[in-house]
Amino acid sequence: MQPIKSIKDIPELDLFTGGSSVCAGCGPSMGLKLALKVLGPKTVIINSAGCMTLLPLFPNTPLKVSWIHNAIENAATTAAGARHGLDALGFKDMNVVVYAGDGATYDIGFASLSSTAIKNERVIYICYNNQSYGNTGFQCTTATPYGSETKTTPRGKENPIGNTNIHKDMLKLMGVHRVYCATASLAYPVDFLNKLNKAKERNGFSYIELLGTCATGWNFDPRYTIKISRLAVRCGMWPLYEIDDRKLSLNKEFKQLKPVDEYLQLQGRYKQLPPDGVTKLQSLVNEHWAQLNEFNAKRYV
Amino acid sequence: MKHILITGNEAAAWGARLVEPQFIPTFPITPQTECIETLARWKVEGDLPGTDFERMESEHSVMSAAIGAAAVGARVFTATSSQGLMLMHEVLYIASGMRLPIVMANISRGLSAPVTLWSDHNDFLDQRDSGWIMFHAENNQEVLDMILQGYRVAEDPKVLLPVMVNMDGYVLSFTDEPVIIPSYEDVKQFMPAYDPQHTITPDRPVTVGPPVMDEYTDYKAQAHLASRNALTVLKDIQDDFEKIFGRRYHTVDEFMLDDAELVLITQGSMSTTAKAAILEMREEGVKVGLLRLRVIRPWPGEIICKALQNAKAIAVIDRNIAPGKGGIMLPEIVETLYHSNNRPLVSGFIVGLGGKPQTEARIKEITRKLADDLASGRPRIEWNDLEVS
Ligand SMILES: Cc1ncc(C[n+]2csc(CCOP(=O)(O)OP(=O)(O)O)c2C)c(N)n1
Repeated sequence: MQPIKSIKDIPELDLFTGGSSVCAGCGPSMGLKLALKVLGPKTVIINSAGCMTLLPLFPNTPLKVSWIHNAIENAATTAAGARHGLDALGFKDMNVVVYAGDGATYDIGFASLSSTAIKNERVIYICYNNQSYGNTGFQCTTATPYGSETKTTPRGKENPIGNTNIHKDMLKLMGVHRVYCATASLAYPVDFLNKLNKAKERNGFSYIELLGTCATGWNFDPRYTIKISRLAVRCGMWPLYEIDDRKLSLNKEFKQLKPVDEYLQLQGRYKQLPPDGVTKLQSLVNEHWAQLNEFNAKRYV
Repeated sequence: MKHILITGNEAAAWGARLVEPQFIPTFPITPQTECIETLARWKVEGDLPGTDFERMESEHSVMSAAIGAAAVGARVFTATSSQGLMLMHEVLYIASGMRLPIVMANISRGLSAPVTLWSDHNDFLDQRDSGWIMFHAENNQEVLDMILQGYRVAEDPKVLLPVMVNMDGYVLSFTDEPVIIPSYEDVKQFMPAYDPQHTITPDRPVTVGPPVMDEYTDYKAQAHLASRNALTVLKDIQDDFEKIFGRRYHTVDEFMLDDAELVLITQGSMSTTAKAAILEMREEGVKVGLLRLRVIRPWPGEIICKALQNAKAIAVIDRNIAPGKGGIMLPEIVETLYHSNNRPLVSGFIVGLGGKPQTEARIKEITRKLADDLASGRPRIEWNDLEVS
């Protein structure tokens, strides 16, 4: 497969038509629309319960591909079952693709994801990471960044920080499963789609994590979805990198990161984060960025 | 056809082998382990050529993968027990709601806490309302036969529901009994190649399991009607089964009921013990018979009423407990009889929890107590030897 060189090479194919009920500026739904351009019509999406579950609402669907919603914690193993079934029936050319939120991926569905990855099932797992349980109204998951306010980590007298946990390093965790892993951002669609094409060519499991920029939960003006998706990368909050055969490659390198504050200020969820919280978040970002640079083009996991 | 000595676990594995499923996702739990180990061994020995045998990381994922494979149109088998079945609970409803004809053996075992490895029926009765068709076998031959019949019912276009074939842990799962293994040819005659009603193919996109609004109740009504259809379908299947294999099963198993005044209602392996006790009591002139529930869902209410039309007193023997209520099958029987012309006295006996053995002596004692209840006109609910209400 030829790599996509510029945005002009992105296929016009559109398998995600209008009429869905997602929020204005919804990043995850844009991600799916983009992804389907390279996944193509011979695709079955396995969805975990979350915001995207409401894309089809009986008897309508905006999707022109097959879709299975099973439950929240079992998208990976449902996909494994579908893969085995399709292979047995002779449909080896169908893509089995999970589209799951971070709650379903990092938390409640982690066991099912881990077992499917370690067995190297021929499945493309896309986690759209909106850093929250979005569908239930924006509660904290283990993907929620330090300092983010959520409905279950509200700021208050006793805790001005909001979420005090440091999120799981999921790429590293998936890396140790020795599968192809990558991060992606809506602001870099060429990078995202090339990663998907890579995953498509694998004869095994791949894990792609797309920043699921969420206007409603993160509380920003919906017109800024792409701007925020770009800033996340520029500030080092969401570095673009991949782990292939346990080796790390940074896909977007910057001499100097922008300060995280620039990213934080656009979002209501960080509005009241006190200065020491911002400092701590900045140091976490610096630490991660330094680590990625240190291991760039080297064995990482 | 051959006649061999095998355990209940092996009988379940044989049932699966004969129908040649495309996918078997598994996770081990005592006392089901031998069933999946047998299948794993057959797989490496080349005896399951068209079957994918898979190890999953939990029973929740076993059923999830089963759903994924069945949704695209593959024939699926699995087996579990107890805590494993409980872990599947959430997805059992999804399998039946999606109308996927999965067949699963459940080797019954009491639920924690405290831990028991031995059989009682709380594990599968907890799934009673999950929309699955539920069979309960008395012996190892019936385990195998129920799996064959289970696929026929499950895959019938008038039904399309998953089927659970239950057997008692240890008493059947680990006990050798002579079992007739049908030939592949006969099984093929009984069950033509699988023609899935639900498929996902590259040229025809479908949506499975979307949210609905008002239609929810219509979906549930359809699943209910499909389950009721299974009663009619099952009758035809039993006729076909007899024609091909020479063995006859009925929806409920009636034993010496024609002139029975006292009737014991049982399930599973203890029925064999009860039948032996009944034969002895008959010698002594006691007019006692037995009705064995072998199809739990759909509930064969009318058939049960008919079978009980001459009964004067009934002992419902429950190998399960709904704390704060009593036995689970007792109210089901009482409700059924409420609509009958014959309204016998009904007593309830809760027995055999956590594998406590049910002896012939115990069955005779229950029968004596039932006769007392009939004489005094006062039903009882008894838990082992304890009067609890
Ligand atoms: C077992 C179970 N627990 C809780 C829920 C409720 N629930 C539905 S969607 C959801 C949030 C999922 O979060 P995530 O995976 O991050 O996806 P998002 O909603 O953000 O798209 C939750 C908790 C559920 N469906 N099932």
